[in-house]
Amino acid sequence: MPANPAIKQVSEVTWEIPPSYKPGMQVPARLYATKKLLENMDSGVIEQVTNVACLPGIVRYAYAMADAHWGYGFPIGGVAAFDTEKGIISPGGVGFDVNCGMRLIRTNLRFPEVKPRIKELVDLIFNLVPAGVGVKGTMNFAQSQMGDITSLGVKWCAEHDLAWEDDPQHVEEGGFIKGADISKVSKQAISRGVSQFGTLGSGNHYLEIQVVDPARYLDRDLAKEFGIVHDDQVMVMIHCGSRGFGHQVCSDYLRTFESGMRSFGIEVRDRDLACLPFSSKEGQDYYSAMVCAANFAFVNRQIIVNRVREAFSRVFHKDAEALDMHLIYDVCHNVAKVEAHNYDGTKAKVLVHRKGATRSFGPGHPDVPAPYKKIGQPVIIGGSMETGSYLLVGTQKAMEETFGSTAHGSGRTMSRTAAKREVRGAELQRKMLDRGIYVKAATMDGLAEEAGMAYKDISEVVETMDRAGISKKVAALRPIGNIKG
Amino acid sequence: MTYRFLPDVALADIAFEAESESVDGLFETCAVAITDIMVDPKTLRATTERRLSLTSESLDRLLYDFMTELIFMKDVDSLLFGDFRVRVSSEGTSMEAVAKGEKIDRERHGLRNDVKAVTMHLFGVKHQGNTWRTTVVLDI
Repeated sequence: MPANPAIKQVSEVTWEIPPSYKPGMQVPARLYATKKLLENMDSGVIEQVTNVACLPGIVRYAYAMADAHWGYGFPIGGVAAFDTEKGIISPGGVGFDVNCGMRLIRTNLRFPEVKPRIKELVDLIFNLVPAGVGVKGTMNFAQSQMGDITSLGVKWCAEHDLAWEDDPQHVEEGGFIKGADISKVSKQAISRGVSQFGTLGSGNHYLEIQVVDPARYLDRDLAKEFGIVHDDQVMVMIHCGSRGFGHQVCSDYLRTFESGMRSFGIEVRDRDLACLPFSSKEGQDYYSAMVCAANFAFVNRQIIVNRVREAFSRVFHKDAEALDMHLIYDVCHNVAKVEAHNYDGTKAKVLVHRKGATRSFGPGHPDVPAPYKKIGQPVIIGGSMETGSYLLVGTQKAMEETFGSTAHGSGRTMSRTAAKREVRGAELQRKMLDRGIYVKAATMDGLAEEAGMAYKDISEVVETMDRAGISKKVAALRPIGNIKG
Repeated sequence: MTYRFLPDVALADIAFEAESESVDGLFETCAVAITDIMVDPKTLRATTERRLSLTSESLDRLLYDFMTELIFMKDVDSLLFGDFRVRVSSEGTSMEAVAKGEKIDRERHGLRNDVKAVTMHLFGVKHQGNTWRTTVVLDI
């Protein structure tokens, strides 16, 4: 992006665009980026984050995190909080894949034990966790159960022997967001979702076997708090969301919202910013349906975890408890939630939209589960399949500056078509194997599209948020096995 | 009836532009383009037929609903279609279609990207001279 004189640097990695930049801006825009990330950021991010700043009831700033790139309406890597009475809710501020998120599980296995069996492990997980076009899930839930499942999320799983006793506590919101109402979800969404539990999806979704990477980063003291006690400890990361259920909820309500804006006198600069007052019936209906989709995603990732535990157990001939395969945490990165925050000298409930952004609550926050209260909420930021990911913790500074929000991933820099022009899937698979990463993909095209060169440098994204004090690094994780849809 | 992919329109997703001399042809072209994103059409057989009947408030919405229905049938019934015959009413608010294809066969089909939703981004049906045209961005 060419230099933009409107963007002012306010600290080392923090930039602002004043409301005078564009008519209608209610608040400034704030971006987190190094100079290099900012220079390479697509200009669509600036256009979009300043459009978001124009939305009714927005408070403080419209944010773009270090991984920001162009999206639909809101940029991906975008955060915006709204007054719950005067502000709006926007499906574009959540994303189609409601509660696309990350789950991290530890094991007590070490790299030398896993390396010789990585192919066997990945191949088995590939068979147990369906991925790709039109796949069906591994559970036979009935449509009549969807109300309870999407209301209680991982708590429902625990009540039905589909989760370990301590799993819910290690999921954001205790494994379910309150406020779900299945009557606000269409029959189409229910039909799409009921047969997809336990599926990975495709696109940028993945299931990755990783090893702690001290050469890149490891804070051994902090890592111990997560049960990471060895420099070569093996972990598993899952990146997926609410599948067809969440996508249908978003599609259904985008139609409702687009039609409804005129009656509320709302005009937006971009059709994809379709929004309605949060306090309106339609706004509340969407919220309730979105919460169903968010809880669907928590359950989806839980079912996948069960399969992963099963796979490890079969390959290593020990039960998953003996392998210490406990959840470290599960975070949403596409959601809108009502949260209490202190800002501008007051404490108030706001509706925080995080679209490709992760909650990053600091030490002592009541919503941070007991095991992590002293150190802050775990934050999981996923990189590309070639570059690895990070575990971090939330901070008090995030609470003060960004409504407790941080980045979510690397962010794309190249389109899918452009990526496929640069690299062939089969060749990429071979190169990754040479580098010690065994990848099994549902399609070679899909693999090529997800090549590392199509993404920003995850380490620079994470470093930016760490330097900003918004989320603090704990451990880098490098991939050794990967399943892609 | 033609379609072409637009590589620079959506970084994380897939976009195409379709055009046809008839509105019926435009709907058929969009359907074929969506199929092409999901599967190598040469590997699809026409062993199953589905008849669709849809009504919507406008031509734009009708096309949106038609494409969404194809995504729905892929997820719920595991069906992919390669052949379409569409008849749109003169008012542009209803349509009948016959879609021919088959159930997904992971061994035989050249499966590609999983299309999850039609976005509203850049979407709209335009009629200029003899040509009907649309741009569609799909969430992958």
